[in-house]
Amino acid sequence: MNAIELDYAIRHFFHVYAENLDEERFDAWTGLFDPDQCTYEILSKENKDLGLPLPIMGCFTFGMIKDRVAMLAKGVLTYRRSRLLRQVSNVQASFTEDGHVLAKANLVVYQSSEEGVSSLYMVARYEATLVLVDKRTLVRKMAVIVESFGIDTMLAVPL
Amino acid sequence: MSKVPTQSQINLDWPRQDFSRVPYEVFTDPHVYALENERIFQADVWNYLAHEVELASAGDFVTTWIGSAHVVVTRDKDQSISAFENSCAHRGAQLVTQVRGNMLKVACPYHLWTYSLKGDLMGVPMAQGINGKGGMPSSFDKAQHGLRKLQVKVHAGLIFGSFSSNPPDLHEFLGPHSLSQIDRLLVQRQPKVLGYLRQRIPGNWKLYNENVRDPYHGSLLHQFQVSFGLQQPTMKGGIKLDADLKNTWNHSILSESDKEQQKWVEKAFEGTGKYNPNMKMADPALTQVPLDLGDGYKTTILSIFPTLVIAQVDNTYAIRHLRPKGPDLVELHITYLGFEGDTPKQTYEKLLTANFIGPSGYISLEDGEALRLVQEGIKSRAPGTHEVLEMGGVGAIEDTDYLSQEISIRGFWSHYHKIMGF
Repeated sequence: MNAIELDYAIRHFFHVYAENLDEERFDAWTGLFDPDQCTYEILSKENKDLGLPLPIMGCFTFGMIKDRVAMLAKGVLTYRRSRLLRQVSNVQASFTEDGHVLAKANLVVYQSSEEGVSSLYMVARYEATLVLVDKRTLVRKMAVIVESFGIDTMLAVPL
Repeated sequence: MSKVPTQSQINLDWPRQDFSRVPYEVFTDPHVYALENERIFQADVWNYLAHEVELASAGDFVTTWIGSAHVVVTRDKDQSISAFENSCAHRGAQLVTQVRGNMLKVACPYHLWTYSLKGDLMGVPMAQGINGKGGMPSSFDKAQHGLRKLQVKVHAGLIFGSFSSNPPDLHEFLGPHSLSQIDRLLVQRQPKVLGYLRQRIPGNWKLYNENVRDPYHGSLLHQFQVSFGLQQPTMKGGIKLDADLKNTWNHSILSESDKEQQKWVEKAFEGTGKYNPNMKMADPALTQVPLDLGDGYKTTILSIFPTLVIAQVDNTYAIRHLRPKGPDLVELHITYLGFEGDTPKQTYEKLLTANFIGPSGYISLEDGEALRLVQEGIKSRAPGTHEVLEMGGVGAIEDTDYLSQEISIRGFWSHYHKIMGF
């Protein structure tokens, strides 16, 4: 795979990833993770810059990732039901020596209320380790570094 | 000309002496919010500023908020801790823009007026003029132009500040039971910071004070707790109040007998669609973390007027601080703690259980939404309407040994009403 093919594949990956979450297709979203080995963390830039380990949302196993969205899908959690629209940009990807893909991208999330009032919800950056398995791109490690770590109301749906 | 609202601009109706009716204007009226700065935050209270572990070395500083006031907290070379208003004595510029860092002195970027870490004015560039022209008048006395300082007291590593020139005794302000709980959580083991969380809740800061004094909602709103056995409405617990009724300690103890009352829980939540007794987690590890202290308390929430909460929720330990940003917005700032001597496993487990709290917390994210809904709901209310606080009984405001109550909320309002003077 050359650099242009890699660029296309990873941009496509992020677009599918974002749309799965926008549409709350939670099974499809968890299906993007390598079930044998994956983590998902949302980290504040504040803690990252200070070298502190506390995530905002820390899923250290595939089971924890599945549980996060199961709680939403099964109605266990009372959360703000805004429509969220994720915009991914500035995607950059490169191969590591062992054939994994390091990817980073910018993320902006807009929220719209039930009465059609939109505003900015989140500014963040993705830092991911991906693997290519049978022509599929799977997540080994996804870190979402949140710059708007003064979270508006709450953060229930993953980013 | 005073900018503080006058009494005539505020029209609150408190129809019940037991504070079982609270006027909604306390949550929405900008005049009330402005007066709170004068009569609470800048008055005879002790405001939480920071924890000493955040100022480990000489020159370390943090910035924080007391009501609308931005405050700098420093540790000087002599190890003393000072706090002062973050506004230059010259022409008001904000002095420190970072949240935390280290500095030898405080220098205003505008005209380089320089202050000590205690807030004393040390240097005024060109005070003597240049080539015999300009400069400050001979009457200018640096000692009269220091930064506005707070009184500072430290207890158990907690740094408190007061704008009052005559604040109450800190130990009396906290109360004996608060002191014992602070000892239990922050003295018996030495805390360290694992990280910070911030949740900007679009609701009045006093709604959050109600929320932490409201164990009634714990097993109704927070269905995760009930579904996975962390909290049951039948569990033992209750509240203790300080002498002023302003500080509340609410606690719950989970025991084996609570499981036997599951049928009661099922019936209570029948039809709501939120109770999932048969739901299993794919990875339940975070619900299986043993409690560090082994004293049987599953949740202990110590709320100290006006903006401090020291909370143990399951095996999470945190200092919560409320930073009002207007009548309808409050930043809930959380300092999440581990302890010196925690093994790597114990630290990992605290990162697991952190998934219960904060803006993404399985428990706490819901408080953000609930308070947003309250603020939205009361915005459209006609003036002169009230919330109803009768759960647990009306009349006396005193300690209880049960959780289904709103008595501690009435205690908060009784103190608020007294010190606000209306």
